[in-house]
Amino acid sequence: MRRVIVAAVLLFLPGAAPAQEPSPGEQLPVVKRVLPNGMTFLFLRRSGAPTVSFVTHFRAGAVDEWTGISGTAHLFEHMLFKGSHSIGTTNAAAEQALFPAIDAVADSFTAEFRKGGTTDSARLEALRDRLKQLEDSARTFVESNELDRILTENGAQFLNASTNTDVTNYYFALPSNRAKLWFLLESDRIRNPVLREFYSEREVVMEERRLRVETQPAGLLREEFLQAAFRAHPYGRPVVGIASEIQAVSRRSAEEYFKRFYGPNNAVVAIVGDITVDTMALWADRYFADIPAGEPHRPVVTQEPPQRGERRIEVEYDANPQVLIGYHVPSGEHPDAAALSVLSAVLTGGRTSRLYQRLVIQDRVATNIGSGMAPGQLYPRLLQFSGVPIAPHSTQEIEAAVYEEVTRLEREAPTDYEMQRVRNQVQAGAIQRLQDNFGLAFQLSSSEALWYDWRQTFRFQSALARVTAADVQRVARTYLTKSNRTVATLVRPATPGAAAAAEGSR
Amino acid sequence: MRAPLVYGALLAAALAPAAAQQAGDAKAQVQALQFAPLRFTPPTAKRVVLSNGVPVYLLPDHGLPLLNVAIVSRVGVGHLPDSLWGVGWQADNLMRTGGTTRLAPDSVDKLIDFYALAVNISTGNEQSTASFSGLSRYRDQMLELGFDLLRNSRNDSARVRITADQQLENWRRRNDQPGSILNRAWSQVMVGDHPIGRSLVTPGEVAGFTPARFRWTQQRIFCPQNLLIGVSGDFDERALIAKLESLFRGWAACLPGLRPLPPLQVTPGPRTVLVEKDVNQTNIRMGHAGGLKVANTPEYFAAEVADFLLGGGGGFNSRLLQRVRSDSGFAYSVFSNWGADTKREDLFFAGAQIRAEKTVAGVSLMRHIIASMATEPVTPRDVKLAQDNEVNSFVFQFDSPGQIVATQLGYAIDGLPANWFDLYLRGIQAVTPAQVADVSRRYLHPDRLVTVIVGKPSLFDQPLESLGPVIRLPVDSIRR
Repeated sequence: MRRVIVAAVLLFLPGAAPAQEPSPGEQLPVVKRVLPNGMTFLFLRRSGAPTVSFVTHFRAGAVDEWTGISGTAHLFEHMLFKGSHSIGTTNAAAEQALFPAIDAVADSFTAEFRKGGTTDSARLEALRDRLKQLEDSARTFVESNELDRILTENGAQFLNASTNTDVTNYYFALPSNRAKLWFLLESDRIRNPVLREFYSEREVVMEERRLRVETQPAGLLREEFLQAAFRAHPYGRPVVGIASEIQAVSRRSAEEYFKRFYGPNNAVVAIVGDITVDTMALWADRYFADIPAGEPHRPVVTQEPPQRGERRIEVEYDANPQVLIGYHVPSGEHPDAAALSVLSAVLTGGRTSRLYQRLVIQDRVATNIGSGMAPGQLYPRLLQFSGVPIAPHSTQEIEAAVYEEVTRLEREAPTDYEMQRVRNQVQAGAIQRLQDNFGLAFQLSSSEALWYDWRQTFRFQSALARVTAADVQRVARTYLTKSNRTVATLVRPATPGAAAAAEGSR
Repeated sequence: MRAPLVYGALLAAALAPAAAQQAGDAKAQVQALQFAPLRFTPPTAKRVVLSNGVPVYLLPDHGLPLLNVAIVSRVGVGHLPDSLWGVGWQADNLMRTGGTTRLAPDSVDKLIDFYALAVNISTGNEQSTASFSGLSRYRDQMLELGFDLLRNSRNDSARVRITADQQLENWRRRNDQPGSILNRAWSQVMVGDHPIGRSLVTPGEVAGFTPARFRWTQQRIFCPQNLLIGVSGDFDERALIAKLESLFRGWAACLPGLRPLPPLQVTPGPRTVLVEKDVNQTNIRMGHAGGLKVANTPEYFAAEVADFLLGGGGGFNSRLLQRVRSDSGFAYSVFSNWGADTKREDLFFAGAQIRAEKTVAGVSLMRHIIASMATEPVTPRDVKLAQDNEVNSFVFQFDSPGQIVATQLGYAIDGLPANWFDLYLRGIQAVTPAQVADVSRRYLHPDRLVTVIVGKPSLFDQPLESLGPVIRLPVDSIRR
């Protein structure tokens, strides 16, 4: 009886979701202005509280790093909060005169560190202490965290930044009467950054790595999983950096990274909130137009060669098991990207999805099962499944269920109900994402930075709604094959603690 | 090469004097900035009372076809008999997943997924919440389903088994991450087995999961007299109120059987507790009883400013972040939290994840920084930073209708006046550096800190005992 009731309810849905209609976001009155130096601004006036959100994306990600400097994109992101020739210092010239001596000790530290097995640990620690002493002496001229102080006293919110594989972003929101402050501070720090307190910040980043990766089973598993799946493309390299490389990054390579990738032509700013567009455009011109253009961003040339056979790895850590399963799939702009997203939603999107139903509700094998695209969008990537078993069930049982459901999907097309559910979720999500000025600014800026088109992310919503059941089956058959798969499993070491002990002795 | 560059610069200066000025002293320009006053009258939520006495806060916004409903209950899991704590902690999960007397669990899941509704129910220790949101054209479906979940929970026995299995797996995984060990060890050491320190269900409690026991707790947490409702988004007031009245019709009064939250006994320090875990970064927390209540008093506001400047919101200019992170490079994350509540005692604490090889140096530094709040008094400039931040960021309190409604619900639950935010702003603006030093002297006790450390002692820079006597807490003796 109850099933009948639900079926009746569903029939009366205004369910014929308007699949062909452009998503509401595409019609937003966004004003785009590109300065002569190539810097791109997106302005959107919105009613509501007098606040304004600023989000800047640079086309500068971890994939753009060269060999030996992994983690530099992220470390540089930290450095942009250290100020400029003016902000953050009482005497920039005197301060920077000390840099060569500090860098020389850092080079000695790196040289000792690079000896690996024959490193003299006493000398290494002495050099580390010396480096700290010298950097402390430069602090005489430093007004540490002055940028943060100015923004804090002006009521800035959400102040932060993040680095990912493809791009790096910087953001905060201000009361709208203080919008000019963003123009002043942001133009100053990208024009004249000074990489002060560099080596102590390098230590901070090492602790960030330990916090997110080395002491977290899921973080460690993910890192090793990506390294196994990508042998050529830099998507296999951790964004936070390989530990030994973080400890050897020099101020010079961070400056070089900046010069190469932080030209205004690689920057996209979205300004959303209670603004007057003409004023914003005027200030954009006044504060940013004279910054010389840099090198245009050149996409990574390296392509991951086709995978020839399943790859399986185990990661030993003193924790309970979990598993990641990844299939190589095309980049976010490929015509198959939408069908792959719908496939992911059919299999794991919500409690009624096929894999959740089977693994979590019926068989009680897993506490959770999820899927999504990783680690980036710009280049061919992975469709990744992640599962956490309930003892005594194993990760192998999760794997088996995933493979069986993929095979079943190839055989049995998603039902009309399943497809309509995904479309309804897409449609509701497309409206929900318009609620929040900050979220909208982030999306506009990201979309324009990645795809040179702020509407692209909205268009993708429309593309999702047009995906057919046959499309989903086709992409499953094309990409979700055994030989295209990488599986990483977290297992306990034979002697508990052995792996982490090796990690700790570095 | 140099000459053309200079020429280029001069040309740019000639063409765009304002831009050329940019290359100059940004600091001076920031100081010279003048801002027009912000003209803003925040919208206020309208309060109406349903015929059964339930207050409803309403703030329409027809900008997007979305509807958000927030429901708060004054009752939490801590108010249940102690033997039902674990049941109450998972009662929310069963309300969402266990079906209703009308609808099988699968049917509920299908409706939620198909209409793309967001349905969240959460039973907390001191209060509980439910929220429903989605497209406003599904208003009736959303409200009917949401109220069905709250009123008529089925607690399907198959779904109870799933929840039990998942909780047992959570228990198995409780020591996988150092942060989880720290949270649980900290609660056990500081407040014993008091409900506000609990966040994990034990196997013994899972053994007591039955549909009837879930039902018992749900009926006492979500029942009309306990509830307050907030609605924001695209709705018509009359139609909405009529709908709410009909949804409450016949919902019986709350049943007896609850207890007041037990009094909180905070363990006195000094005391240092070590839990060994094989990791290369040490998780640290230190603190003591907070000593203050949320109230319209100068000392509460002074404590808020003190916490902001110590590590509770002052960003990189707080003393902990400045000295432990920026100056020393010991940690990525370091913070303080001077907790206060309207009704009961709360805790003051500071925490960090510090490089294992700097553990003892880091703990000493953090203790020194806490002490410095009294011994190195904050400056007028520091206090002004905290005050300016509050005053200038006030508009963000009113950034969306949902947020305005949520704030009003929070004040009502906490027994604060509806204009609490105005009182708070005024209170903060009146704080003086002397008051911050005074409240720090009276309520912060760096010599009486309880410190809990999770890490690997063989990697530490010095024996932990150099800080004083150390109590070793084996990880398996953390009871929950």
